[in-house]
Amino acid sequence: MIDQAPALIVVIPLLAALFITVIGVYKPRLSWILTVLTFVITSIFTIITLKQVVVIGPVYYMFGNWPAPFGIEFVIDHLNALIIAMISIVALLVAIYSKHDVKKELGDKIPHFYSLFTLLVTGLLGITMTGDAFNLYVLLEVSALTSYALLALSKGRAYIATFNYLIMGTIGACFYLLGVGYLLINTGSLNMADIATIINANTYSYAVLAAFLFIMIGMWTKMALFPLHGWLPNVYTYAPTSTSCLLAPLMTKVSVYVMLRMMTSVFNYDYIFNVLQWQQVIVALAVLAILAGSILAFRQDNLKRMLTYLIVAEIGYMVGGAWLGNVNGFTGASYHIIADGFMTLCLFLAIGCIIYKIGDSSLASMKGIFKKMPLTMVGFLIGAFSMIGIPPTCGFFSKWYLLSGAYEAGAWPFFVALLVSSLVNAILFFRIIEVGYFHALPEEEPNHNHPKHKRDEAPLSMIIPLLTTAGLLIGIGIYTADIVTYLIRPFINTFL
Amino acid sequence: MIIGFDVICLCLILLCAILALYIKDLMGAVIVFGAYSFLMCIVWACNAAIDVAFTEAAVGAGVGTVFLVSTVYSTTRVDSFKKNRFITQLLMFFVVCIVGSLLLLTVTDLPEWGDGNAPANAHLSSYYLENSIDDTHVPNVVTSVLADYRGFDTMLETCVVFIAFIAIFAILRVRKSRTNNDETSKIFELLVPSYQKVDSVIIKTASHLMIPFMQLFALYVVAHGHYSPGGGFQGGVILGASLILLAISYDFKKSLNYLSEKKVILLVALGVLIYAGIGVICLFLGGNFLDYSVLSKILPATDSIMARSHAMLGVEIGVALTVMVSMYGIYLCLSSNGRFDKGL
Amino acid sequence: MDYILNHFNYIIVVIIMMLGLWGMLSLSNLVKKLISMAIFQTGIILFYISMGAKKGSSIPIIKQAYDDHHHPIHQTINHIDYANPLTQILMLTAIVVGVATLGLGLALTQRVYSEHKSLNEDEILESLS
Repeated sequence: MIDQAPALIVVIPLLAALFITVIGVYKPRLSWILTVLTFVITSIFTIITLKQVVVIGPVYYMFGNWPAPFGIEFVIDHLNALIIAMISIVALLVAIYSKHDVKKELGDKIPHFYSLFTLLVTGLLGITMTGDAFNLYVLLEVSALTSYALLALSKGRAYIATFNYLIMGTIGACFYLLGVGYLLINTGSLNMADIATIINANTYSYAVLAAFLFIMIGMWTKMALFPLHGWLPNVYTYAPTSTSCLLAPLMTKVSVYVMLRMMTSVFNYDYIFNVLQWQQVIVALAVLAILAGSILAFRQDNLKRMLTYLIVAEIGYMVGGAWLGNVNGFTGASYHIIADGFMTLCLFLAIGCIIYKIGDSSLASMKGIFKKMPLTMVGFLIGAFSMIGIPPTCGFFSKWYLLSGAYEAGAWPFFVALLVSSLVNAILFFRIIEVGYFHALPEEEPNHNHPKHKRDEAPLSMIIPLLTTAGLLIGIGIYTADIVTYLIRPFINTFL
Repeated sequence: MIIGFDVICLCLILLCAILALYIKDLMGAVIVFGAYSFLMCIVWACNAAIDVAFTEAAVGAGVGTVFLVSTVYSTTRVDSFKKNRFITQLLMFFVVCIVGSLLLLTVTDLPEWGDGNAPANAHLSSYYLENSIDDTHVPNVVTSVLADYRGFDTMLETCVVFIAFIAIFAILRVRKSRTNNDETSKIFELLVPSYQKVDSVIIKTASHLMIPFMQLFALYVVAHGHYSPGGGFQGGVILGASLILLAISYDFKKSLNYLSEKKVILLVALGVLIYAGIGVICLFLGGNFLDYSVLSKILPATDSIMARSHAMLGVEIGVALTVMVSMYGIYLCLSSNGRFDKGL
Repeated sequence: MDYILNHFNYIIVVIIMMLGLWGMLSLSNLVKKLISMAIFQTGIILFYISMGAKKGSSIPIIKQAYDDHHHPIHQTINHIDYANPLTQILMLTAIVVGVATLGLGLALTQRVYSEHKSLNEDEILESLS
């Protein structure tokens, strides 16, 4: 069964989504437990695969048993083994977390929510593992369509925000498809490894340039890199809480991974950094993304909205790191995919708990929150520390790699932008701590027995995933050296 | 393959595209867009892409237009709001010009149209053409690549259709009891352009006569996809169109009698389940996922190559089921604004 | 002239795609945006199909000869005689994905309309602010 794991990682959630839909017609209550069960099994398989990759090296899986360029192939190397483990664990945590939240927000749409949820994760896992450029497009659409649906399950302004996301997302996917078309017209192949060998033998032409450019623009649109980020804040702000908890950590990071994947396994270092020499421009864009994200985040007084702008800034970290073109920058970008995934998850889960209890995430309503929800705020603080980059958390280490990468490449604007962003994050989160810890609870209910000191935590099914994520942030931070040596370096060595 | 014809069609297409964007009246724009899709399908037939033409005729020009028309009907066909977007449009025009000129630059690098030895036609596709018969015993290479060599893609594509249905159902479906209590939706009812249901005997009789033949043809398209153009998607869409015709010419009550809401959800899932299930059976028989050749162990009197051919038929049936029911389901949602009471 | 005719499909592809892209980015009506989206997608489909065409080729269904026992006779097949099946399969997928996206977009449009009573982006933004 072990050698079938790559297929099972995708097939199990897919089948589960079908069963959830069918059972949801008769017994909607079962859909939550089925989803959790699915992701427990998927997580076990991804961790088994991760172990296998560390021990014996990359795993290849041929669908339909057709040899590589003719059939569709899954390639699991060191980095994406780590990323699928992250995706399935994030999905598991959000699935557990969503139980009460979904009941409150969605009512009779619960089975649809869970079946779309599982299919979204199926798509993301597939995108990460696939070694076929066109298969990636189909999986991209699977995850895109499910995410539009999940975002639009909320009411009111969510519809128009999602509509804009649909337009932008389709432009991104179509550009990617166009890029794949240019690859196909140059090489006649769709398998990434196969394309790489054929392209290297060719001279570089405009058509190859167009392929690279359109794939990159497509991915930048999908990941909301700075001038193309317009859709992101509205979409995540007006979405149902559980949806934004799932999408915010995963969607953008997976697009970043696709960018890394395209840079490493289709095109090569020599072409990107010596023939094209765009790194100055892209790193400048990343700097702008970081600064714009930080400044815009500063102007928000709604916590959820503030976080969405921080995501825009974090995208700048990863894109900039990847385009520095040295080992440390690339390590930082790869490591930050994992770190930022869990960081964003932690903060969104915490905010979700607050919204669940208070019904609002504006800064004004945070007064006295530390007394009211101490456990939630412990999780929130650890997430915030990681975002700022305080040592035991993993946020510190990714920033360290990015900074040393910027130093080696002499990309001083990027170096400064990283520091400024840390500073802005620190100010933002300390502002919340100040309001939450030092400002007294508003005394609205004088009849209540102990309005000031009453603890009113979110249910355990929401607190446990939050604290687990917080623990993971520290755990990943402590094991940074191992992750980098055994998982990220072997991946980078094939590229640089 | 006829260059002159191709060129004329493409010029007409360009005209239709411009018109579809220019016409202010939404219904007009939608109809012109239908013509655009239909011309596109002729161009694809010209380029020897007969399966694509078939799909475009059924999906793009057929069902896609029906979806657009239903939406325009249940919202509004006029857009009277005026605001000067000239600056945005000019800006976007420049952006588009830059992208377009870059694309035109690459055209010089592309091989000539119709060059049989261009890289795109040599590497993978020549393998498929030369080995399809030996590998799978299926003469229609499009079917064999679709359902076997790249079967995983097609499974996910079926999944996309499934997702589209579940998504539209989840977004639009409103329960009746709730609608009646909701004040805003009552006001909304007034805003929706009211129309008289014409109870025409001619339409009813005509569709009554047509539907069985449509369905028979669709079944032929599904089952004969190994040897002639067609397959699960095309057949599924035609089957779906026959159900949509039933819903249009009679009313929702009649068509929901045949295929209720619950059954729609179950059948959509069942179609994908058939596809994925065949893949999982392959897993249990010791092959890779979707490796149909191992099915020869359980199928009587088939070698591993015939097993691929048979399994493809099974897969196509799954695809057809999902596509048929979801097209019908999406139509029901879109044309009644999720209330499932009355359609076009 | 010969050059243009030989690359005519690609030139039309570029124009159609850019028309669609322009429409998606700058038209204010939601249904028009979706129509532009569909036009953009068909542009890409035309790109793929054009690259798979071969002059003087037939549709990609192999002409199979059978012996008396209905067993296929082995024959050598020259790939030049048949159009490229690969691009066609990819585009079958793209068409179906396209209609799925269109359907979802239309569902969202209907919800936007019942929420804001308008299909015009500017009018909606004005009513929100």
